[in-house]
Amino acid sequence: MTRVRIALGEVEAFAELDEVAAPRTTAWLRELLPIRNRAIHSMENGREVYALLDTQGPIPEENQTIYQCVGDLFVYHKPAIFVEPAWPRHMRTFLVIGFIYERDSAIRGMSGPLATNIVGRITQGMDALAHEAPRMRKEGFGEIAISVV
Amino acid sequence: MRRLVFELEGTTAIAEMHEDIVPGTCDAVWEILPVEGMSIHANWASREIMLHLQGDKILRLPPEGPSSHGIVAPGDIVYFWRAPQMSRGKQLAYSSEFERELSEFAIFYGEPSGLGLATSDPARESDPTLQVTTLFATFIDLPADFVDKCEEIRHEGLKRLVVKRYEE
Repeated sequence: MTRVRIALGEVEAFAELDEVAAPRTTAWLRELLPIRNRAIHSMENGREVYALLDTQGPIPEENQTIYQCVGDLFVYHKPAIFVEPAWPRHMRTFLVIGFIYERDSAIRGMSGPLATNIVGRITQGMDALAHEAPRMRKEGFGEIAISVV
Repeated sequence: MRRLVFELEGTTAIAEMHEDIVPGTCDAVWEILPVEGMSIHANWASREIMLHLQGDKILRLPPEGPSSHGIVAPGDIVYFWRAPQMSRGKQLAYSSEFERELSEFAIFYGEPSGLGLATSDPARESDPTLQVTTLFATFIDLPADFVDKCEEIRHEGLKRLVVKRYEE
C-alpha cells in the first residue's frame, strides 16, 4: 500500500492509495508524484480543494463514483470554466487531483454529477485539512504538495 | 430607478434596483445603506461573492417577486436569507454570527453564475420560511477590474466591500 503525504498550507495529512480498486490510475499517479501546485478552493462543488495537474492524461475510467465522501482522494477532468474565467479555448477541461473536506459537497459538471476516479483515502490528518481549508478561504490560498512517503 | 455603487478595493460597479418588481426588498436594502464588510467567495454557486449583513444591518425579509433560486446571470445581485437550522455543515470559513443564520447579498460577477451544486438543492428551495432568494438589483455594467477583483477573492481571501447609495 503506497502512502502519500498531503501538505496544504500549514498542515499535513496522509492518504493511502487504493492500488487494488484503481491499479492503473494509482500507477499513473505514482509516476506523476511529487506534485506541488497552487491549491484552489472549489466554487461549484462545496468543500473541495484541488490542484491542477501538469498533464491532461488520459486517465482510465476506473473506480469511479459520483458520490464522493469526505476523505476521498480523487482525480477527474474539471470543466475549465470553473477553474479560470478566461481559459485556453482549445481546452474544455483540466485534469485535477482533489479531495472533499466536509459533507454537503459533490463534484459537478456543467449539467450534473461528474464521475471521479477514487485513487485513495485520507487516513490521517483529515481534521487538520478541514480546518486549514476554511482558514485559507479567508486568508488566501497557498500551495498543496503531494508526495510519496 | 435607484442605483447602488459597489466598491471593492479601488474598483467600482453600479447597479440598478428592481424596485418595480420587488419594492419592499429594495426599500429595506436602501434603508440599511451604506453597508460594508469582508466579502467571501462562494463555493457552491460558482462566480459569486457574498457580503454577509452583520449586527443591525441584518435583514430578515419575506419572499417577494419570482424566486431567483438557481436562475441567475452575471451581474445579478440577490438578497439571500437562510434559516438557522438550514446551515450547510460547520461553515468554518464564516464568522460565528453566520455559521447559523445567514443574511447576505449574493453578487454574481461572471460565468458561470449559479451553476454547480447550487442548482440541485431542492430541499432548500421548497419552503420560503427556510430560505429567501430575491433578485433585487442588477449591475448596469460589470467593469473588468471589478470582475478581476472578485475573482481574486477566490485565491487571496476576504476583501472589503462597501455598498452605498449611488447619487450622481
